[in-house]
Amino acid sequence: MTGRHFLAIVAVVQGILLAALLMLIVLNRWFRLRRRARVHPRRVAVEGVMQRWALGQAALGVVLVQLARLPISLAVDALVTWSARVPGERWRQLAVALEREWWARIIRSNSRSGRWWKRLECARFLSIAATAGDTARVLKLLHDSHPAVHIAAVATLERLQSPALATAALERLPSLAPTVGAYYAAMLRRSRAVVVQLLLAKLRRTDDPALPRLAEFAARLREPVLREPLTALAEHRDAEVRVQVARGLGSFPHAASLAALTQLVADALWPVRAQAARSLGMLADPASLPRLRALLRDPDWWVRLRAGLALTRFGAAGRNALLEADVGPDPNARNMAHLVLGLSPQALAEFAA
Amino acid sequence: MNELIRGTDFVILVYFLVLNSFYALLLVLSIPEIWEQTRLADDEDFQRLMQSDALPPITILVPAHNEQRTIEASVTAILALHYRNYEVVVVNDGSKDETLEALRHAFDLYEIPRTYPETIPTKPLRALYRSRKRTKLTVLDKENGGKADSLNAAINASRFPLVIAVDADTLIEADALLRLTRPFLLGRQIAAVGGTVRVANGCVVKDGIVTEARVPRGFLAGVQVAEYLRAFMFGRLGWNRLGGNLIISGAFGLFRKDHLLAVGGYDATSTVEDLDLVVRLHRYLRRHKIRYEIPFIPDPVAWTEVPESLRVLGRQRERWQRGLVAAMWQYRGMLFNPRYGRVGLIAVPFYTFGEMVAPLVEVFGYAITVVGLSLGVVNVPFALLFVLVAWGYAMLLSLWAVVLEEVSFRRYGRFGDLARLVLFATLENFGYRQCAVWWRLRAFLSVWRRKHVWGVMTRKGFDPVTK
Repeated sequence: MTGRHFLAIVAVVQGILLAALLMLIVLNRWFRLRRRARVHPRRVAVEGVMQRWALGQAALGVVLVQLARLPISLAVDALVTWSARVPGERWRQLAVALEREWWARIIRSNSRSGRWWKRLECARFLSIAATAGDTARVLKLLHDSHPAVHIAAVATLERLQSPALATAALERLPSLAPTVGAYYAAMLRRSRAVVVQLLLAKLRRTDDPALPRLAEFAARLREPVLREPLTALAEHRDAEVRVQVARGLGSFPHAASLAALTQLVADALWPVRAQAARSLGMLADPASLPRLRALLRDPDWWVRLRAGLALTRFGAAGRNALLEADVGPDPNARNMAHLVLGLSPQALAEFAA
Repeated sequence: MNELIRGTDFVILVYFLVLNSFYALLLVLSIPEIWEQTRLADDEDFQRLMQSDALPPITILVPAHNEQRTIEASVTAILALHYRNYEVVVVNDGSKDETLEALRHAFDLYEIPRTYPETIPTKPLRALYRSRKRTKLTVLDKENGGKADSLNAAINASRFPLVIAVDADTLIEADALLRLTRPFLLGRQIAAVGGTVRVANGCVVKDGIVTEARVPRGFLAGVQVAEYLRAFMFGRLGWNRLGGNLIISGAFGLFRKDHLLAVGGYDATSTVEDLDLVVRLHRYLRRHKIRYEIPFIPDPVAWTEVPESLRVLGRQRERWQRGLVAAMWQYRGMLFNPRYGRVGLIAVPFYTFGEMVAPLVEVFGYAITVVGLSLGVVNVPFALLFVLVAWGYAMLLSLWAVVLEEVSFRRYGRFGDLARLVLFATLENFGYRQCAVWWRLRAFLSVWRRKHVWGVMTRKGFDPVTK
C-alpha cells in the first residue's frame, strides 16, 4: 500500500466519522427534546402534588404514585429538593412509606453496586429518606472509597439519629481533608448528645494524633461540658492542639478559660499567642486588659493586630488603652494602635467574624 | 535536493501523525472524564452545601486596567454570586480612564488604612477602599504594574485561604464558585482548579449575568466559540487524566493561597502569567514532593468577551504564543526530566513540541510542499490528500468538542445556535487557522527582538447594570 492509498483510506474514514458526529449531534438533540417533552409534565405533576401534600391538601399515596412515574434519578432529585421544605414529622411519614415502593427498593439495593454513581444515588436517597432499618447500609456507604458517596451518606445524620452512624462519622472526621472535615462536623452537630459523649472520651487521650481536629470540633460545638477537657489541653506539647484550644476557649466564659488563656498568650509560638489574644477579646474580662496591652508590643505583627482588635471589645477601657499606645514610646504598639483606631465599625465587625 | 524535500516531507508527516495521535489520546481520555464530571455536577445538592459551613472561604481577585465601561457590571455580577463566604478584591492598576471613579460612584467607597503585610512585593499602593454598600468589596488603587502585579497586590490583601483570579471583563455564573470548590469538597489534594471560559459575544447579558447563551453571527467571534469549546471541553479534560494541566485560565482559576505565596505569586515579567504560574506551581510542588492535583472541571462557567477584529485578535494570539515560548524556554529544565513526573515527561514536551513549534512546522510544511510541487518532487494528489486529511482531522476534533458539549451541558439551547456552532467548527480551518498560524509565527519574531508588550485590548462591554 502506498502513502497515497493510506491517506485516501484515512480521508474516507474521516469523512464517515464527520458524518457520524453530525448525525450524533442532531440525534442527541432530538432524543433529549423528546425525553424532556415526555418527562416535564410528570415533573410538574410531582411538584404540584408535593406542594399540596406539604400543605396537607393531598394524600401521601398520591405523592407516591406521582413519584413512581418519574425516572428514578429525577424522583431522587425531586425528593432532595422537597426534603428541605417539608417539616420533619411529615417527611418521616414519607420516608417510611417509601420503604415499600419498588423503585426505592432498587435504589436501596444499589448500596452494594460496583458502580460509584449508583452508590452515590443510593447515598443521596438515604440522606433524605433513611429509616432506622437503613443504618447498616449507610454505615457501609460512610466507608465508601468514592468521596462523593461518603460525603452524600454523612448527610443522613441530619435526619436519622443513630449512635452507630455518629460514631463512625466522628471516627472518620480527623482523617479527612479540612473542607470535608468541616462538612462532617456540620452534620455531626445534629447528633450532639452522642457526639459530646464520644468527644469527652477522645479528648482525654492526649497522645491521639487526631487531637487537633477533635479539639477544633469540640470548640465549635460550644458545649459547656467540653470546656474542662479543652482547658486541660492548654499545655499540650503539640502546637496545633494549643492553637485550637486557644481559639476555642473564647467560646467558654469561665475563670478556668481565662487562666488557660493567660498562660497561652505567653506561648513561644505566635499562632498560639494570636488566637489566645483573640479569645481574650471575646471573653472581655477586665482582668485580662493589661495582658492585651502588653501584647501590643509583641514581636509578631499578627499577634499585635489580634491584641489591638481584642482591645476594641473592652469598651471605653480598651479604647483608652489603644489611645495611650497610639502616643506611647513603643513604635510597634503605636503603629498597631493607630491602625486599629482607624478601622470603621464595619471593618471591626468583619475582623471579629 | 529532491531527496532533501522528500526527507523533510517524511519528517513533517511523522510529526503530524505523532501530534494528532496525541490529540486522539486526549479525545479518548476526555470521554470518561466528562462522564464523571457530568455525573458529579448533576448529583450535587447545592442547597445543602450552601447551608453548611464546610465551604472554604474564597477571595476573588479582580485586576482592572482601563475598564470603566465594564467594571460596574462585572463587580456587581461577582457580588451576586451564590456563595456563602467570600470577599472581592478589585485592583485598579493605575487606570488612565475613570475606572476608580466608576467604582467609587457605584459602590460608595471609603478609604481605610492598610491592615496586612506586603508578602509579595508590588508597585506602590496609593489607597485602600471599602464599600459602604457591599461589605464584601475591597478596592486597591495602585500604580500601574501590569496584570500580574495587580494580582499579587490582591493576594497580599486577601484574607482567605483560596483565591480566584477573575478578569474584570469576565462574567462568572452565579453558582460557578460553588461548583469550582467541588474538588476541595471531595477531599482531594488540590493545588489549583480551573473552570470553563466561554465566549460572551452574542449572548444575552442582563445585570452582568448571561441570561441566554448564544453563538455570535460574526465569523471571527463565532469561530472562537468553537475554538474555546475545543480547548476546554476535550483538551483540558483529557489532560486531567494525564495529570498535567499546564494552563488554568487566568480569567477563571481557583488557587490555594499558601502555594501561591510559596512560589512568590504571579511573575510580573511574564506576558502569559497564568501559564507561567501553573508551570511554576508544578515545579515547586514536584520538587518539594507535595501531593497535589491541578484539575480542570467543566461545569463552572465564566463568560468572556473575545476580540472581534483581526488586529486585536492577532495581538492577543501573538502575546499568548510569546508567553508560551518564553515559559517553555524558562522552564526548559523540566523538559523530559523524570523528576517532574508526568508533567516533565508528557505535558512540557507536548507544549514545547506540539503547541509551541506547531506553527513553525505548519508553515515550513506549506513552504516545502509548494517547492516540492513546483519542482515536481511531490505528487499533486498526495499533497492535496494530505491537506484534506489534516483539515479533516482538525474538523473532527472541533466537532468532537461540540458533541461533548451536547451530551453534557447543552448551553446553546436553540437549534440555530447549534447549527452555527457546527458551521463555525467546520469552517475554522479555512482562513482562520492560517491567520492564527501567522500570528503565532510573529510571536517568534517578537521573542527574537525581545519585545515585551501586552497590546491594547478593545472591548465593547456588556449592557449597563439595571438599577
